[in-house]
Amino acid sequence: MKKQVTITAEPINEPALLSQRVMSPGMGAVVCFLGVVRGTEGDATISALEYEVFQSMAEHQINLLFDELARRWPIESVRLVHRIGLVKANEPSLWVEVIAPHRGEAFAACQWLIDELKRVVPIWKKPVIGGP
Amino acid sequence: MRVTVCFYSYFKDLTGCASTTEELADGSTLDDLFKALVVRFPKLGAMQRATLMAVGLDYQNRTYVLSEGDEVSLFPPVQGG
Repeated sequence: MKKQVTITAEPINEPALLSQRVMSPGMGAVVCFLGVVRGTEGDATISALEYEVFQSMAEHQINLLFDELARRWPIESVRLVHRIGLVKANEPSLWVEVIAPHRGEAFAACQWLIDELKRVVPIWKKPVIGGP
Repeated sequence: MRVTVCFYSYFKDLTGCASTTEELADGSTLDDLFKALVVRFPKLGAMQRATLMAVGLDYQNRTYVLSEGDEVSLFPPVQGG
């Protein structure tokens, strides 16, 4: 299984990521997920989220999740990009792509990966309250 | 033995530092370390049930026996995504 994890302070460049996609002829499903910073939290207006990461542990834990993903589903490729630092409202903080032979395993694997990321990967966020 | 301890997220605010060192008796566990840290940083005490602990890059439970030079990290529940 091809796997790629990127944790970066740079904006997520979707066109560049899509241009780097590689699929073999047996693959029939690509699931892409984009997590976007919401502009509200409860009644408060959020202008941004400030993300903090324990980078070496985060990369290690994501690679452990990739290993488990490969054991559970016949995935050909998984790529994950998580942005850190200040991410403004309406901008993406997370991009995940899973490529598999069929949609069922691609959707299931992508959902599982994001759920597990939120449970074990050491990344935290702090809201920046108020409009720009 | 001496271990290094790093704090992340608002644990840095609760302790007033990003890292420290702690002297422990040989055979001490992560639970022993946490109790020693609460003596130095009382605000950590309220976070006992919400504290995640890692040694190196892997999560460990409170019964994990520490070794000289271990790098321990303490942090609240994660919030990625």
